Amino acid sequence: MFTYNFKYELKLLLRSSWIQLLTLLLLLLFVFASYNGKQKVDKRTADITSAQTVVDTSDKETLSILLAIEKGEDLNLSPWVTPTSPINIGNQNPRVAAMPANEMAFMSVGQSDIYTHYVLPKVSGDDFALNLSEMASPIQLLFGSFDLAFVVVYLLPLIVIAFSYNVLSEERERGSLKLLASQPISIRKWVFQKIGIRMFWISIMVLLATTVAFLLNDIKSFDGYVLFFVTCVIYMLFWFGLTFAVNIQIGKSTQNAFVLLGFWIVFVLLIPSIINQVSDVLYPVPSRNQLINEMREHKSEAEKKQDQILDNFLRDHPEYAVNNDANSKSFWHSYMASQKIVKEELQPLLSEFDNNLAKRQKWVNKLQWLSPAILVQQDLNTRAGTSKADYENYRQQILNFSNEWRDYFMPLLYNNQVFTSEHFSKLPIFQYKSDKSIINGYRLWGVLLLTSIVLVIVIITYKLRTKKEYSIIQ
Amino acid sequence: MITTKKITKKYGDFTALDQLSLNVKPGEIYCLLGANGAGKSTTINLVLGFINPTSGEALINGKSVFKNNIETKKDIAYIPENLMLYPTLTAMENLDYFSGIGGQKLKKDQLESLLIQSGLQPEAFYKRTNAFSKGMRQKVGIAIAIAKQAKALLLDEPTSGLDPKASNEFGELLQELKGNGVATLMATHDLFRAKEIATHIGIMKSGKLKQQFTASDISLPQLEKAYLDTMNYKELAK
Ligand SMILES: Nc1ncnc2c1ncn2[C@@H]1O[C@H](COP(=O)(O)OP(=O)(O)OP(=O)(O)O)[C@@H](O)[C@H]1O
Ligand SMILES: [Mg+2]
Repeated sequence: MFTYNFKYELKLLLRSSWIQLLTLLLLLLFVFASYNGKQKVDKRTADITSAQTVVDTSDKETLSILLAIEKGEDLNLSPWVTPTSPINIGNQNPRVAAMPANEMAFMSVGQSDIYTHYVLPKVSGDDFALNLSEMASPIQLLFGSFDLAFVVVYLLPLIVIAFSYNVLSEERERGSLKLLASQPISIRKWVFQKIGIRMFWISIMVLLATTVAFLLNDIKSFDGYVLFFVTCVIYMLFWFGLTFAVNIQIGKSTQNAFVLLGFWIVFVLLIPSIINQVSDVLYPVPSRNQLINEMREHKSEAEKKQDQILDNFLRDHPEYAVNNDANSKSFWHSYMASQKIVKEELQPLLSEFDNNLAKRQKWVNKLQWLSPAILVQQDLNTRAGTSKADYENYRQQILNFSNEWRDYFMPLLYNNQVFTSEHFSKLPIFQYKSDKSIINGYRLWGVLLLTSIVLVIVIITYKLRTKKEYSIIQ
Repeated sequence: MITTKKITKKYGDFTALDQLSLNVKPGEIYCLLGANGAGKSTTINLVLGFINPTSGEALINGKSVFKNNIETKKDIAYIPENLMLYPTLTAMENLDYFSGIGGQKLKKDQLESLLIQSGLQPEAFYKRTNAFSKGMRQKVGIAIAIAKQAKALLLDEPTSGLDPKASNEFGELLQELKGNGVATLMATHDLFRAKEIATHIGIMKSGKLKQQFTASDISLPQLEKAYLDTMNYKELAK
């Protein structure tokens, strides 16, 4: 039966133009989506580069000024800009703490759209309360970007459904089912083969579209290419499993279509959004605004008693008080001290924020198993380096770097040291390290598991059914 | 060869078939007559295993069609009332496909000779069947049925919609198959043709087999009278 099904299914698909249409559609979608993704990645890279260029230029200028001063030239600079003051360097010559795009970033830009990919942490900055997605636009959040991940997660199931929702019902409605069913074959096996064959052809088309999209965008990662294709196939397997189930359980084409669209809505739209909504209720994250207001209050409070704070601070940190005498207490001495106090005071609120975020993420991670769409989206995001975990990792690295940056300048400030060209060459540098442990294959196995669950349910309900009629006769 | 034993089919409270028993031996052509809704198609569908009986059983060559559905279908060729093919495939391809999935691998010349046997005009062999008339499709169906070399032939109003010549040719074909020892069960409204080709005739009403005749024992007018009597149209028969 298989060789005949294989041979004639291809003929039927070609003559009904399904193959031609789908190939064209998939090519268009994949090429356009990957082009779109690549554009976003290019913009991200350009943004980082231009920020770096600005920093490099100002570094050159600063260094030449430092060298001139060290040669004894009197440049008559304002104390607020002179580079011999460590705090001026710490504020005016920040490093670029950038998160460069990885090679696969173009696959999924959904998250990266709403995140910042470089920051310039300053000594006196408030970056401990840093939020990378402060720019989040609700519209973008709602629709995401038209990237490969969107095409795969949202549109590919619809294509699978359109391609195979009526394999059996079409036969019945055409009237050829009676003749078919009078042959010595199992109709269930026949449907299974037909769907398997369609799955095969659509996989070939997806492979073609993937190849073209990767080549056009000059993506050289072979692993990334293979994994992306495998992900598509595994995800389609789930949807084909579902269409198989619906094909052999339900009668009419329109019913099949509605049931399958229902599944699509549930798995692709409903479950993800319900998980989001419920996690908002269960683990509310204190609002950013509240955090910022609280921070401002603490700051103005601290400002009022800056002198007292500085005294306390120096008592607590005798290492900074070595060179201290009343005359050298500048604005910055008090400011940095009060900043540190504010940070300590805000710590509980900040950790609550972080804790809630972590708990929420843990909860979402557990519930991702409910929908293959979430699993696949997460999998693509992690491999594109644009998952929540990647941005959290980046945020932590920025926080660490901010501390490192501040810690570099604090001793210089409190020791009233002069900043020199030698110090300048030893400034800490930020180097983003991607966390490879974020990527792992268990989500794809999860999709396979969900697929097998669907098939087991099909078999069990089929076995349990007493009336094993396929309603061959309407 | 084709046997039903007290087979009953109920749809809810409605009894479509009531304890029907019949037996068609090799070399016999059994014609089922009866008004619309009498249960002729239901009988054939039960023998094919398309629907399950409420009670009783159907046997092909002594084997229960419900227990060995796929196996018994190897022995059955079936031509449905309104036979539909794949419209984008040619007559040859349709024949090749339907024979092939059942395990019948046929070569090109074998396919062609089957179509010739079925009476389809040769110009149509390599044409897509989307523009085929009902009779032309029926002929491809006949070719599929002959290809199977089945011992049991199930026909549901096979000549409805065929022109008189085609219908006549079809009758001749059935006689030929009869000679080869094929058992045929055929539902029809055509009393004339039934009398002409059948070896046995059964008249059904409301799911019951009311009368059975050996075709040679009865003339056409007698058959007509018996039919109408059964249908309660006594006045008209006089
Ligand atoms: N799925 C079904 N559900 C309910 N009733 C049905 C179903 N299938 C058939 N019937 C009923 O069973 C009865 C017998 O139908 P059947 O098709 O066997 O008649 P028939 O003798 O073939 O008639 P015709 O000459 O019109 O083809 C009819 O009254 C029909 O309405
Ligand atoms: Mg009928």
